[in-house]
Amino acid sequence: MTTMTPPAPTRAPARVPLLRRLGTVLLAHPIVRTLGPFVPFLLIWWAVAATGSVNAAFFAGPGEVWQSFTELVRKGMMPSYLGDSLERLAYGVGFGLLIGLPLGFVVALSSWARRLTWPLLLFFQAIADIAWLPILIVWFGFSLTSVTFVIVYTVVFPLMLGIVAGVDQVPRELVNAARSLGAGRLRVFFEVIVPGSLPAVASGVRTGLGYGWRALIAAEIIVGTSGIGFMMFDARRAGEVSQVFLGMIVLGVLWYALDALILAPFERATVERWGLVRQMEAAR
Amino acid sequence: MNTLEINNLRKEYVDHYTGETIPAIGEVTFSIGEGEFVSVLGPSGCGKTTVLNIVAGFIDHTAGDVLVHGKSVHGPGPDRGVVFQSHALFPWKTVLGNVTFGLRMKGVPRVERERAAADILELVGLSGFERKYPHELSGGMQQRLGLARVLVNEPEVMLMDEPFASIDAQTRRKLQQDLTEIFEKRRPTVFFVTHDIDEAVFLSDRVVVLSARPSTVAEIIDVDLPRPRTWRETVEDPRFREYTHHIEERLGGGEPDAQAG
Amino acid sequence: MTTIDSPARTVGRVRRPGPRRGSEAVWFVVPFVLLVAIWWLVVEVTGTTARTFPQVTDVIAALAEMAASGDLARHLGASLQRMLIGAVLAVVTAIPFGIALGSSPRLSAFFSPLLRFSVALAGIAWIPIATLWLGYGDRAVIFIVWNAMFFALTYNTVLGVQQIPVQTVRAARSMGTRGPRIVWEVLLPGALPSIVTGLRIGLGYGWRGLVAAEIIATNAGLGYALFLAQSQFDTGVIIASMVIIGVLWLLMDRLLLAPLERRTVERWGMKAVS
Ligand SMILES: Nc1ncnc2c1ncn2[C@@H]1O[C@H](COP(=O)(O)OP(=O)(O)OP(=O)(O)O)[C@@H](O)[C@H]1O
Ligand SMILES: [Mg+2]
Repeated sequence: MTTMTPPAPTRAPARVPLLRRLGTVLLAHPIVRTLGPFVPFLLIWWAVAATGSVNAAFFAGPGEVWQSFTELVRKGMMPSYLGDSLERLAYGVGFGLLIGLPLGFVVALSSWARRLTWPLLLFFQAIADIAWLPILIVWFGFSLTSVTFVIVYTVVFPLMLGIVAGVDQVPRELVNAARSLGAGRLRVFFEVIVPGSLPAVASGVRTGLGYGWRALIAAEIIVGTSGIGFMMFDARRAGEVSQVFLGMIVLGVLWYALDALILAPFERATVERWGLVRQMEAAR
Repeated sequence: MNTLEINNLRKEYVDHYTGETIPAIGEVTFSIGEGEFVSVLGPSGCGKTTVLNIVAGFIDHTAGDVLVHGKSVHGPGPDRGVVFQSHALFPWKTVLGNVTFGLRMKGVPRVERERAAADILELVGLSGFERKYPHELSGGMQQRLGLARVLVNEPEVMLMDEPFASIDAQTRRKLQQDLTEIFEKRRPTVFFVTHDIDEAVFLSDRVVVLSARPSTVAEIIDVDLPRPRTWRETVEDPRFREYTHHIEERLGGGEPDAQAG
Repeated sequence: MTTIDSPARTVGRVRRPGPRRGSEAVWFVVPFVLLVAIWWLVVEVTGTTARTFPQVTDVIAALAEMAASGDLARHLGASLQRMLIGAVLAVVTAIPFGIALGSSPRLSAFFSPLLRFSVALAGIAWIPIATLWLGYGDRAVIFIVWNAMFFALTYNTVLGVQQIPVQTVRAARSMGTRGPRIVWEVLLPGALPSIVTGLRIGLGYGWRGLVAAEIIATNAGLGYALFLAQSQFDTGVIIASMVIIGVLWLLMDRLLLAPLERRTVERWGMKAVS
């Protein structure tokens, strides 16, 4: 078996200083930095497929995956499944934020609400969201409602827990400072508590989205009417390996885009700009 | 009438572990007149911060009165501006946003707010930094901002708890000099807590010396040094040395962090 | 990491040990008692049938029956075994891999986009491919648990190693620490706060992956029990299984993760992530 060593892009041409400098500049470019590691990965994938050493029933090369991609786009299935998945995610996250944000601040700020709901929050967070699917199916059947409900559920709890953690982290002195500068309760809330807790809230949203995303895929597989998750599982039953691979890539790219285009800029614009607590960036 | 009056103030903390009460302030009485700069000195842990926090309205007292212009205080309010040792600036607001915060709370229109802010930033030497965020400033600049934020609000009394304690010695000298100049220009009423005897004497019209916990007022010293004051001239004044020696003796052998000029 | 000045006192209330412990335990139970009471009352008053939502007593009966028939032990055993194997595999593969990757700044910087991509994809999205490669059954489920944890754990280990101050490593070297001992004495403990975070996140994904994979791909385990009950419209068993899943996770968190955190990261004053 011939294993091709992918040309490591870090190895800049050594002889010509100018070229090396060009290489360094190129490597520092964000697009190269982001996409760079995928190049060797693609090459290895392609090489493994090209050798034909892996049973085609279990494995598809980049060429086949690309083919099934164009085919699915042409037939219109890809856009429609993608649209379904994104719509569900948007509904779920939208409702999740709508419910989770106000509730989170109430629980964080009222000591009575906190006492009465904190253990319940921990418990409901602990019931893995997917576990709700069977009872939801009993209630709503195999429908969009069931899927949306699960996503809302997965978003709300990490968000609420994040808000409580965030509010608890706001330095007492900042509240005192605001009050002795004449701020009333409402002003303290909007000018101090909300921005002060934002880093933790952002990380709660991120965690929630990460879970919601997975819940969506699972729900689509189980409920099975449409969407990328459904497409993958359907393909697996039909033995269309390339479509399973394709589904995974689409999911990965989609999450990456969501993260890079929406979540990361939001965090940069607030948290980093303010030089606030930059907590250890955890992968979620 | 005095601007700030503290009458027979007492404070007991309750230990949450054991439930017993710890007397922090035995009985403290003193007052600060309009436009007067008063420092409070005392051994570590004697309750200076506690007195200041009570005046600021951050914590309750056990007995006694705190009056501002004859009215007793309840909770924090814009009539008592606090400069914190740790600055307590809002990290999500720019320099301008921090300075104008109090005026916004009062409902002062934008144009006026920004004019007042420009004046104050000029006064504390922060002109040109309006659009920066606090984390982009040095420690000394952050404390100037903390000062500006309170000055612009024109409180009845300014409360400062060791505002220069976490700043390096050189910058501290500079800030003390600047604070004196600002004080001499604007004549706010100031209640200043410190560990540093030289600082207290240099800045103040009067120095209140507290005893160890539970604290009482051990002595109140009138600092009769001419204004305007500068470090260079003041340290050469023999009376300055007399005051600091006297207080050192009063506090029992001098504080390790009190610096000789 | 932290740039807010002296955040010693925050808006959060101080948790006090000692005499208040007892009342805290009570406050942990009260909300559940209230919830169950409301549940009981609502079902009673509205006359909801067990076809839609079970009465409290139905759930208890379902639990008792599952316990008596041995189903409970069988499902619990299957789920816990898979979780344990998957988690142990993830720990022994991801942490060494993460440390190796993290100790070369260039390598880790280069690969971290790929890792982030994989974290986003890990777990549930692999179910179709896992069942294709490994067939329906234990192996596919264990693979999912491992996979769900592996990338989160690797990524956070890499981050943790990257965040160890250079001085700490230099200090150890100048005191004569060499080679593998650096890993054991400095890199591993230094990266631990982040590793614990990764473990938390990873276990969360693994647990969800387990339930989903069991619904889809097995004939034993809590997820399967849920699925079976759903097809029979047995709401009592559904709710009972959900309660078990929740309780198990809480126990895992309280008995495994929290003590680990208390003894290491918190004890060393390194706690960094809420
Ligand atoms: N929240 C509290 N609970 C219990 N005791 C307290 C509390 N805050 C302060 N104390 C006690 O009250 C006394 C006075 O504290 P305070 O902080 O006012 O002293 P201080 O004079 O400002 O000290 P320093 O010079 O070190 O700043 C101390 O002995 C301290 O232990
Ligand atoms: Mg103090």
